[in-house]
Amino acid sequence: MADNFKNPEYYTNREMSWVLFDNRVLSEAKDKKIPLFERLKFLSITSSNLDEFFMVRVASLKDMVNAGYTKKDISGKTPIEQLAMLDEATHELVKSQYSTYKKSLLPQLLQNGLRVIEHHEQLSEDEQKFVDRYFMDNVYPVLTPMAVDSSRPFPLIRNKSLNIGALVSKKSGDKTFEFATVQVPSVLPRIIPIPSEKEGEKAVILLEEIIERNIDKLFLNYDIICAHPFRIMRNADLTIEEDEAEDLLKEIERQLKKRQWGEVIRLEVEDGIDKKLLKILKSELMINEEGIYRIDGPLDLTFLMKMYGMEGFDHLKTPKYTPQPVPELPAGEDIFAQIRKGDILLHHPYQTFTPVVDFIRQAAKDKDVLAIKQTLYRVSGNSPIIAALAQAAENGKQVTVLVELKARFDEENNIVWARKLEKAGCHVIYGLVGLKTHSKITLIVRKEEDGIRRYVHLGTGNYNDATAKLYTDVGMLTCSEAIGEDATAVFNMLSGYSEPLTWNKLAVAPLWLKKKFIYLIEREEKYALEGKGGHIIAKMNSLCDRDVIAALYKASAAGVKIELIVRGICCLKVGIPGISENISVRSIVGNFLEHSRIFYFENAGKSEIYCGSADWMPRNLERRVEILFPVENEGLKEKLMHILEGQLKDTEKAHLLNAEGVYEKVDRRGKVLYNSQDTFCEEAILAAKEKKENENHRIFVPETHHE
Amino acid sequence: MAVRTFAAIDVGSYELSMKIFEASPKNGMREVDHIRYRLDLGTDTYATGKIGYEKMEELCRVLREFSEIMKAYKVEDYKAYATSAIRETSNSRIVLDQIRLKTGIEIAILSNSEQRFLDYKSVASKREEFKHILENGTAIVDIGGGSIQLSLFVKDTLAATQNLRLGVLRLQERMNHLDVKPAQYEELVDEFISAQLAVFKKLYLKDREIQNIIIVDDYLSPLVKKHRIGVTKEGYVTVDAYEKFTEMLHKKASFDVAKDLDIPEENIPLLYISSVLVRRIIHLMDAKLLWLPGVTLCDGIAYEYAEKNKIMVIDHDFEQDIVACAQNISKRYMGSRKRSETLEKITLTIFDSMKKVHGLGKRERLLLRIAAILHDCGKFISMMNLAECSYNIIMSTEIIGLSHMEREIVANVVKYNHADFDYSESIDYLTIAKLTAILRVANGLDRSHKQKFQDVKTVLKDGNLIITVDTNEDITLEKGMFKEKAAFFEEVFSVCPVIKQKKTF
Repeated sequence: MADNFKNPEYYTNREMSWVLFDNRVLSEAKDKKIPLFERLKFLSITSSNLDEFFMVRVASLKDMVNAGYTKKDISGKTPIEQLAMLDEATHELVKSQYSTYKKSLLPQLLQNGLRVIEHHEQLSEDEQKFVDRYFMDNVYPVLTPMAVDSSRPFPLIRNKSLNIGALVSKKSGDKTFEFATVQVPSVLPRIIPIPSEKEGEKAVILLEEIIERNIDKLFLNYDIICAHPFRIMRNADLTIEEDEAEDLLKEIERQLKKRQWGEVIRLEVEDGIDKKLLKILKSELMINEEGIYRIDGPLDLTFLMKMYGMEGFDHLKTPKYTPQPVPELPAGEDIFAQIRKGDILLHHPYQTFTPVVDFIRQAAKDKDVLAIKQTLYRVSGNSPIIAALAQAAENGKQVTVLVELKARFDEENNIVWARKLEKAGCHVIYGLVGLKTHSKITLIVRKEEDGIRRYVHLGTGNYNDATAKLYTDVGMLTCSEAIGEDATAVFNMLSGYSEPLTWNKLAVAPLWLKKKFIYLIEREEKYALEGKGGHIIAKMNSLCDRDVIAALYKASAAGVKIELIVRGICCLKVGIPGISENISVRSIVGNFLEHSRIFYFENAGKSEIYCGSADWMPRNLERRVEILFPVENEGLKEKLMHILEGQLKDTEKAHLLNAEGVYEKVDRRGKVLYNSQDTFCEEAILAAKEKKENENHRIFVPETHHE
Repeated sequence: MAVRTFAAIDVGSYELSMKIFEASPKNGMREVDHIRYRLDLGTDTYATGKIGYEKMEELCRVLREFSEIMKAYKVEDYKAYATSAIRETSNSRIVLDQIRLKTGIEIAILSNSEQRFLDYKSVASKREEFKHILENGTAIVDIGGGSIQLSLFVKDTLAATQNLRLGVLRLQERMNHLDVKPAQYEELVDEFISAQLAVFKKLYLKDREIQNIIIVDDYLSPLVKKHRIGVTKEGYVTVDAYEKFTEMLHKKASFDVAKDLDIPEENIPLLYISSVLVRRIIHLMDAKLLWLPGVTLCDGIAYEYAEKNKIMVIDHDFEQDIVACAQNISKRYMGSRKRSETLEKITLTIFDSMKKVHGLGKRERLLLRIAAILHDCGKFISMMNLAECSYNIIMSTEIIGLSHMEREIVANVVKYNHADFDYSESIDYLTIAKLTAILRVANGLDRSHKQKFQDVKTVLKDGNLIITVDTNEDITLEKGMFKEKAAFFEEVFSVCPVIKQKKTF
C-alpha cells in the first residue's frame, strides 16, 4: 500500500516543474498591472535563472547521458527522456521571453520615452557618428579580435560570454572565407546611451551593435562577409549535482575519460544568422541542433537589470520599500536585555535585518560575552557581520565561524573573507566533508551574574544584509536554555565532535530532520484517521523529496487538509483521485523573493509551528546540515500563522496548481483583493509607527515618591 | 562566592569527553557544555601496550582544543582523569608527561576502584533521586568495556561491591574468536556470564532483597534518554518494559535496529551484549525497576569537585561506604567485628591526639581505619604467616573508593603490624611507617583480644603519649607486651607511649 503512493505517475519531473516556475516569473513580466520597469526586472530574472538552470541542471543530465546512466527520476523518466522534454520546454520558454520583450516591453518603453535601438542599421546619421566615435574612444582599445586559419586554432570561447562571430575573407586573397570572432567586453556597460534628437526621449543601443557596426576596423585586411552575435553555455560546473543518486558519482569517476569537461551545452545565436557561420560554430563547438537557440532579439537579457537601474524612470518602478524597525528592539537599547524579556520574531524584509547585525556587533563589544559562533553560507561583499566578527576576535572573544565554501558560484567570494576572519583570530571551519552547511544559526555565550546564558538567532535566510532586503525570511532571537544547549551541541558537531546524546528542541539534518518531518506528517494522518482532524500548512521554496511527498499523499488520503505554499519546484501533483484530493499547492511570485520556510501542524488542537533552513528536497534533508526549530511562544506563533494565512488569502501574486499540472492565477471572483507582500509591508510600517507614537507621548509623568 | 566554572575531562578508552560545569551554591553543578570526541585509544593499548604515534598526536590535538574551549568559558579549575587505556600502557608516565608538555593539561590516572567510585558518585550527583532509590535494596551495575562492577546497597550504605571481568568489549572479543552468529549471542553471553554471576550471588547477594537496579553504561542509557523506551519517568524503566525492549531488539535484524534507533550499526553487537547482561542481572536479583540516570564519569568528577570545594551539601556519607566495604571484607575472612571495632576506636583516638606530631590528614585517617578493620584478615588462610597472607588478601581485593596506591598503603600497614618494618619500602614510606606505628600500639593494647580497653583516653604531654585506660581488669599482659610495640612508635614519632590504668570502683 505504501509503495502505491510512490507510483512515478503521481510525480512531476523536477526540471519540468522548474520550467513552470520560470514561466510564472515570466508571467510577471507580462503582467500589464505591474510597473513597466519592474517587468523588465522580472524578464531579466527569467533569463539569469535559465542560465543557471542550464549550467547546473541540464549539464548534470547531460553528464548522466554521457555516462550511460539510465536510472529513472521521481517521475519515472530516464535522463534521455528528460532532456528531450526539456529541450522542447526551454525553447518554448525562450520564445515566450523574446515575444514579451519585443511585442510588449519595447513598444511600451518607446511610449514612455525610452527608445531602444535594436539594430545599428536603424541609427540616424548623427547617431552613427556618435557611436563610431564611442567605439574608437572606448571600445576598440579593449577588444581582442581573433581570426582562425590553418595556423591559428579555434579560440576558446568563454562560458556565458557574448561574442560576435564573423566570416571574413582576405582582401588580396582568393575569396575563401575564414572565421573570426571577438568577445564583447564585459568590462564595458552593455547599454550605451545615445544623445537623442527628440525632446524628452532617451535613446540607447547595445554594445554588441556598436561593435558589429565597426567590425571592419578590427580586421583591416579583410572583407567582412557577415557578423552575428553568439553566446555559449558550457557544462562548467565541475561538481556533480548533489541531488542525483550517489552511485552516479562512481559511475562518472569510472567513465571520467569519456566526459568532456566544459562541453558546450547551449549555443544562442541571432535569428537569421548566416548559414555558413552557424555551420562553423556548430562543428567547432560540437553542439547538436537541439542545443541551438535562434534568438529574435538581443542575446542574454540580463542587461535588463541594468536598464532597470537607469535614472529618470522612477515613476515606472514600484516605490522602494524601506525595511521597518522591529518594535521589540528599539535602536540603542541593549539587545540582550530585550531578548531576556522574551523570544523575538523577525520578518524580513518587511522588518529590518539590522538587529541581527547589531546582535553580533553588540556581542563583539560586550565585556561579558565569551564566545560567538556562527554559520555563514552566502555573505554580501562588504558584510558588516564579517567586520563585527573580526572585531570580536580582536577583542579576545572566542569566535568560531563555519564558512561554507561549497555555496554554488560563491566559492571565490567566500574564500576571501574567510581568510580575513582567520587573520583577525577567528577559528574558521571550512565546511564539512561531504556535506553542505546550510543551517543559519548564531550562538552568543555570555557570562552573566547568575551564570552562563546563551543567546541564539535561528533563521530561514542567510546572514546576508543585501539579500535580506529582497528575500522574505523569518528569524528568531531567543535565550531559551533548551535551544541554547542544542545550539552549543550543533557547533560542537560542526567542530568535529560527536553528536549529542539528545536534542531538546532542534531537529538537525542530515541525521534527524527527515524522520522528524515524516513523523509530524504521519501524526496528522493518525489524528485524521481517529477523527480528530488533520491540517498541515507548509511554506517552502521547493518540494521534491519522494518520501515526504508519499507521506503527504498518504496523509491526504486519510483526510488531512494540506495547504502548500511552494514558490519554486514542486514534484507533487494535486487532485489525483484518492491520493491528493485534499492537497492544494500555490506559488507566490512577487516583488520580494519568497524564501522563508514555515511549517504548521495542527496536532489535534495543540498546534506546532516550525521554521527552518531546509526545503523538502533530498539534498536538504540528506546531504546538508540543516536546522528545524520550533516556535513555541504563543505570540510568535500567531505572527507566523498570520504570515501563512496572508499567503493563503493572496489573490494578486498567487498561482494555484491545478490537476492538469498547470499554474493559474487565483480566480478573484467574489474575493477581497489581497496582496500578501504589500499587506505585510503596510503592517510593518504601522507597527513601527505605533511604537514610535507610544514613545512620543506628551504626557508628563510626575514623580510621586520622594526620598 | 558567585559562580565558578569547572571542567571535567575524561580520557576514556574510546572517547575523549569534557563537560563544562558552573558551580554555585544555589544551583549546584550545572552542566553547560558536553563535548565528546571519538578516539579509540584502547585498541592500541590493549594490543601493544603502547599508544601509537598518530593516536598520540590526535589525542594531544583534541586536548589542546579542549584547553581552548576551557579558555573560552573562562574555566577556573579543571580535573582530567585517564582510565584503562592509559593506565594499561607500559609507558604511561611518559605519555602523561608528553601530554602535559604539549597541551598544558595535567592528567591523573584512575585505578579501577577509583573510577568505579567516581561512577558511583556520578550517580550520587542526582542527589534527590539517588537518596530516594536507596530507600529500597538497590544494586548499581556499572558496565564498562573490560569489566563490570556490581555494587549492592542495603539501607543507604554500600554493602558489597565486586568487579567481574564481564565488560562488553571483552565479551564481544570472545564472541569474535568463536565466530558466533548474532542469533546465538544471547545464549552464549548467558553461558559466559552465568557461572560468574552465580558465584557473585552465593558470596555476596545471598538472600538480600534487591528491588532497584541502577545502570551506568554507554549503550543502553543513551537510548533510554533518546527514545524514552518504556520510560515512566525520565530515566526510569520498569522491568517489564525492559523485557519487551530486549525482545524487540533480538527479533529485528541489526540493520533495522540501527535504523529505528538511529545509532551506528557497529554499535549494535555491544548493545545486544549489554542488554543480555542486564537482563541476566535482573533475573539474578529479581529486581523490579531500572534506573538509567545517563551519567558519565565527568559527572562524578564534578561531584567530587563540588564535594571538595563545599559547593553543595553532600548528604551521602561516602567514607562510610568505603568503611562498610572494608567491614564486609573483614567479615568474609572471619574477622571479629567486636575486636575490629575496639581496634578502630583505639587507633583513631591515638591518631587524633597525635595530629600535631604526625601531620597526616583526613584521608590517612581513613586508611588507618581500614587497616585496623582488616588488620588480621590473613589469619583466615594461615595463623602462622599472618603478615604475608593479610597483605596478599588486601592487595587482591578491590576496595571501592581507594586508589591502588592507597590500597597498597593499607596492605603494608597491616603487614608491618605483624612483620618487621622494611625500610626500603618505596611507596609512601613515611605514611606507612606512621600508620604502622599507631596500629602497632593499638594492637598491643588489645593483645588478649578481650577488649579490656573499651575506654581509652590519650593525651600528648612532655614528649609522652599518655594512654589512660579505664578498666578494672588485669592488664599485665598488655603492659608487658607494650614495650616491644612502643619501640617502633618512639622511633617514628620521637614520642613515648605510656600506659596508665585508671581503676574505678
